[in-house]
Amino acid sequence: MKKRTWILYLAFRYLFPQKRFGTFFTWISTAGILAGVTLLTVVLSIMNGFDENIAQKLIQINGPIKILSPALMPDSDSFKKSLKKAAYVKAVTPFAQGITLLQHFNRVAFPKCIGFDPHSVQQVLPLQQFVEQGNLADLSKGAFVSAALAKEFDFHIGDTVDLYSPMSLEAIKQEELILPQEVPIVGIFKTGWADIDRDTLLLPLPLLQELYGLGNQVHGYSVEVDRKHIQEACTALNAILPPSLTAYTWHTLNKDFLYILRMEKAMCFFVLLFVVMVAAFSMSSGLMTTVIRKQREIALLQTLGATQWDIALIFSVQSMLLGALGTVLGFLCAYGVLSYRNTIVHLLTGWFLPENALWDFYSVETLPVAYSLQDFAAITFFAILVTFGASLFPVIHLKRLPIMQHLRGE
Amino acid sequence: MVAQPILQVNQLSKSFTPPAMLWQGVSFSLAAHESIAICGQSGSGKSTLLFALGGLEPVQSGTIEFNGQRIVAGRYRYTPGISYVFQHYHLIQELTVAENIFMATRLNPSAASPDPSYTETLFSTLGLKPLLNGTPSRLSGGEQQRVAIARALITQPKLLLADEPTGSLDEATGAQVMALLLQICATVQTGLILVTHNATFAQQTNRQFELKDGHLYEKN
Repeated sequence: MKKRTWILYLAFRYLFPQKRFGTFFTWISTAGILAGVTLLTVVLSIMNGFDENIAQKLIQINGPIKILSPALMPDSDSFKKSLKKAAYVKAVTPFAQGITLLQHFNRVAFPKCIGFDPHSVQQVLPLQQFVEQGNLADLSKGAFVSAALAKEFDFHIGDTVDLYSPMSLEAIKQEELILPQEVPIVGIFKTGWADIDRDTLLLPLPLLQELYGLGNQVHGYSVEVDRKHIQEACTALNAILPPSLTAYTWHTLNKDFLYILRMEKAMCFFVLLFVVMVAAFSMSSGLMTTVIRKQREIALLQTLGATQWDIALIFSVQSMLLGALGTVLGFLCAYGVLSYRNTIVHLLTGWFLPENALWDFYSVETLPVAYSLQDFAAITFFAILVTFGASLFPVIHLKRLPIMQHLRGE
Repeated sequence: MVAQPILQVNQLSKSFTPPAMLWQGVSFSLAAHESIAICGQSGSGKSTLLFALGGLEPVQSGTIEFNGQRIVAGRYRYTPGISYVFQHYHLIQELTVAENIFMATRLNPSAASPDPSYTETLFSTLGLKPLLNGTPSRLSGGEQQRVAIARALITQPKLLLADEPTGSLDEATGAQVMALLLQICATVQTGLILVTHNATFAQQTNRQFELKDGHLYEKN
């Protein structure tokens, strides 16, 4: 066995002595790192889960690519055909959007209205999965109202609402009167995206075009593409679009929001890393005690040929071994916690909150989770770095100790 | 034929701060395979002298040469060929007895793997064979000191510095250990400098010195 290997072996044996399953110091230090790593992994994995959910929702609601313009664009078959010829493009659907005045008996609201082409929308946006009542195939016959709006107005399928066009204001100036459109409610939907679910109406595109006086024009197109090549498809579309129109990926359209999510995750990582650092301080203190307690042994090792670097290595390796052990066990523990996350959350909310309060608030049926190799690598790196840092103080202190005096019998 | 000295000590002096002379003018030499004992009252500086010889303790003046190589006292650097036995055994409790013994060969880059016949002689003389796989905590004081002696001799050193090796043992066990120490040093041909209070043990070495009033005197 080479000297360095022996040094590593000795470091290992200090933590796991012969015929003993570790020492108190080994397990208490490991427990500290384990707790920090578990917490980091659980929080980051759940945040990843929410991020993935959010990304998925953004794509489902808007499509992977949107074509937008400050001006109106034509809703023609030839234009749609030309878009479909672009690389990786699978389907396109036009949309128009705006705000209308909704009246139901003596109550009014100003919901956002999105007009979709009932024939092509499902090829791009999987809206059917958000429908709680009704069938999306009936979109051509009336409006789908968002769940919160339906609850507020106590809407049911078959009810009718009056929609006033913004054009009415212009008509009033001309001393004309445009009568409201009486629209039947054909369904209720819930996306899980609070901004949409609060007050949105899904309307057939021709109705919205009529309300806004758009004629045969639309505000934009949602485009379905090969999901593995979203960026390439966007580039291909922009290459064929006229200068007034631009294709944007869902990522670009939500750039600021996604940045905030990334920032939030980075801050969580930073804050929770302090838990690992606290554990490392505790380990440092334990190592310092070991150094003081083992001064005679350290001096003896030097008389047997170990250099000061070898001694420093013994303690640094111990620290890093504890870091590695705590990290591995922390990952396993986190996996266990995440596997039973819904049971745990259910129990906690059962004790402290009304039933389903959390689900209603966050609009998720189960707590989402997504594992990221990048996160695991970052956690491992920082945990071992921090534990290595924890060994530096005892090691530096070690060099100042007059340890040779401890070999004397007196 | 006079054997070449392996250790040459010339005019070694040691004082503490504030100036208080512990010993001065200490000179002697040790031939290969020779054993000497240094006796003296408590506080006379025997252990300090022994530690200075190994470079573990600084001195004010004088020179120490081991095997033709100058030892700088107080600036400890491992000197191959010198081993130590201390009053306390300093065995590493986390290792087995065998690991404790062979640790010296692992940590010393210049030490060759011990010759099996030498190891056999060492272990059988010291009666360690049945103890090798155990842990130090289960050994008696005498057994632990035997392990410490084996650890010191496993690298076949030219010089063994022993500081009160029986100091923590009862008289009977101490006598046994001392007999073994002298026997094994003679067998494996290692020079020995023994610091002891015990005149009987000292008598068993080739030469005896006494540290008294700051000077080292050789007894006739």
